Amino acid sequence: MSPGGSARPLPSQAQIEALAGHVFPGGHYRIAHWENILLTGCTGADPLPNGLAHPIALFHLPIAGSGTSIAGMFALGQAESDLSIMIESYEWEFFIPLLEEVSYAVTGRVNSAERCRNPSGKIYDRIQFCFEVFTPQQALAARSTVTWHYTRDTL
Amino acid sequence: MNGTATYAVGDVLPEWVMAEVSAERMRTMAALLRDPNPLHWDRNAVAALPLGLGHRTINQGPLGLGYLVNMLHAWAGAGCIRRITMRFPQVVLDGERVVARGVITALREERGERIAQCDIRLEHAERGILLEGTASVALR
Repeated sequence: MSPGGSARPLPSQAQIEALAGHVFPGGHYRIAHWENILLTGCTGADPLPNGLAHPIALFHLPIAGSGTSIAGMFALGQAESDLSIMIESYEWEFFIPLLEEVSYAVTGRVNSAERCRNPSGKIYDRIQFCFEVFTPQQALAARSTVTWHYTRDTL
Repeated sequence: MNGTATYAVGDVLPEWVMAEVSAERMRTMAALLRDPNPLHWDRNAVAALPLGLGHRTINQGPLGLGYLVNMLHAWAGAGCIRRITMRFPQVVLDGERVVARGVITALREERGERIAQCDIRLEHAERGILLEGTASVALR
């Protein structure tokens, strides 16, 4: 059992691969002014002008807006514990600057899911999520691609 | 940066310093993100890992990325980022001093904007590169 979490049995390769194409329910998310102030402050920056949301909102805005959560994404890939997720990469694209107090529509899906082995032979599962954020006028404002490694029996 | 500024491949961006990564800010971020991972708020959970990190919490990936965003904003203005891709070769720990740095690798026109393509990285004086990636930045 990993410290801080409950170890779960290793999912089969077929179970992992079947996640590709999974679509989250979708929904909306509004970055509240207070939320943007706290988020921006956490980065060590002053509030941005003209109601701009700090770009790091493109991490949690689409996750929550698409109807899932970090914990839900952990569970979807049958993470063996909350400690077992490693980041491979984040790719954020901004087509229109994100603003606070705007209700964005969000879609989300699993782009790919595959079983891999690291250089020392340990199994991990590489799962890539893609979220798209739309303005109330239905223009694509931003896209977030999140790639995580679900490590197995490594901690 | 102003309207008369000129840019060239190889230009080094002004660095942005986070003098001390804060465990309290990680806790606030964990709440904002609804992030259940105790590595961000429980020093004992980190110390129990076989990684030799000691009693220090691990910064959220988006928070470290935020330092690089702040560097780009300070250089090119808020709202300048068109694309950012980031990898996380090492963790960022509470109490650390980290520096965001970047360099222009290409200049191009894209959708009516002048874009600077940049290599960006977050560095620690002893541990080297913690985060690294690229950014496409609109120049005004």
